[in-house]
Amino acid sequence: MHPAGLAAAAAGTPRLPSKRRIPVSQPGMADPHQLFDDTSSAQSRGYRAQQAASGLGYPATSTLPQAAFLADPVSNMAMAYGSSLAAQGKELVDKNIDRFIPVTKLKYYFAVDTVYVGKKLGLLVFPYLHQDWEVQYQQDTPVAPRFDVNAPDLYIPAMAFITYILVAGLALGTQDRFSPDLLGLQASSALAWLALEVVAILLSLYLVTVNTDLTTIDLVAFLGYKYVGMIGGVLMGLLFGKMGYYLVLGWCCVSIFVFMIRTLRLKILAQAAAEGVPVRGARNQLRMYLTMAVAAAQPLLMYWLTFHLVR
Amino acid sequence: MAFTLYSLLQAALLCVNAIAVLHEERFLKNIGWGTDQGIGGFGEEPGIKSQLMNLIRSVRTVMRVPLIIVNSVAIVLLLLFG
Repeated sequence: MHPAGLAAAAAGTPRLPSKRRIPVSQPGMADPHQLFDDTSSAQSRGYRAQQAASGLGYPATSTLPQAAFLADPVSNMAMAYGSSLAAQGKELVDKNIDRFIPVTKLKYYFAVDTVYVGKKLGLLVFPYLHQDWEVQYQQDTPVAPRFDVNAPDLYIPAMAFITYILVAGLALGTQDRFSPDLLGLQASSALAWLALEVVAILLSLYLVTVNTDLTTIDLVAFLGYKYVGMIGGVLMGLLFGKMGYYLVLGWCCVSIFVFMIRTLRLKILAQAAAEGVPVRGARNQLRMYLTMAVAAAQPLLMYWLTFHLVR
Repeated sequence: MAFTLYSLLQAALLCVNAIAVLHEERFLKNIGWGTDQGIGGFGEEPGIKSQLMNLIRSVRTVMRVPLIIVNSVAIVLLLLFG
């Protein structure tokens, strides 16, 4: 790689302009399959062309005091080599990051709109009247939550987690127990419990040999929905004391339990059992136990992570 | 409430170390968890015990070399920073 890089640097052309792609987009067209609204316009296109032109020009002529250092051909070559090396490294990382963290799939989980968030929050607090829990199946990409209220998303769990940290800080502050490092401790503790849950559930799914299409990101999304109930409980506890806290937390615990069972049943149990017909065998019984264990762990964790905040 | 991400990492490292030191001949065979005792034919689905034995064997095979590195790093860090 080194001789090739040096030869390219000796040719003298920096690689930067080839990387600039001017977006070909029509701002007025609303594509129904688009995940996000396209806000790029002709103004930003002109700005990008200007930036490319100035990027080309800077190593050649300048009157700055560093001009002497930059005009030296050896350091020029070294700079071009270094930038080409960095570009190659960036390409390598971009190609391989998708193997470990599915970055391209992540954007589907954040494609939400206000209607979806409202409906989902209502579903988390009152799941008893919802009839159809099946996600409309889509081939190789995850279903964008904008199109189906049953699809998992990562927006609500992320926002609820951050709000939980802030509400915990508020609760500690009203009891004169606040200090800034406690916020970091709360965040780290909640993340550690989440990681432990995900690992435990993945391990038990592997041991019971369940063939599901439940990906890790889906699992993180489902396990993150409990933060919504926790926030409600702590806020009520701040306003109305322990009685309000227990009432609202109890209600949210039961709702999350029912929500998780109804959602996971479709993913973990076999199709026949999900339709209500009891199927034979220890395998489906084991899967049912697993679903109930996962759902029962949610209220326990909700209580464990909030009880020390309400006095 | 001292359950932080760092303590989770430490616990995970200790667990993987514990799995790595289970000796095949002296211990696992004596309790019937050896890897040549688990092959239940080409049946429909493997039971939990054979899945566990497969998991132990794969962890031991895959994590042997990375564990050396991670353990050395952990030892040096603990010596320096307590």
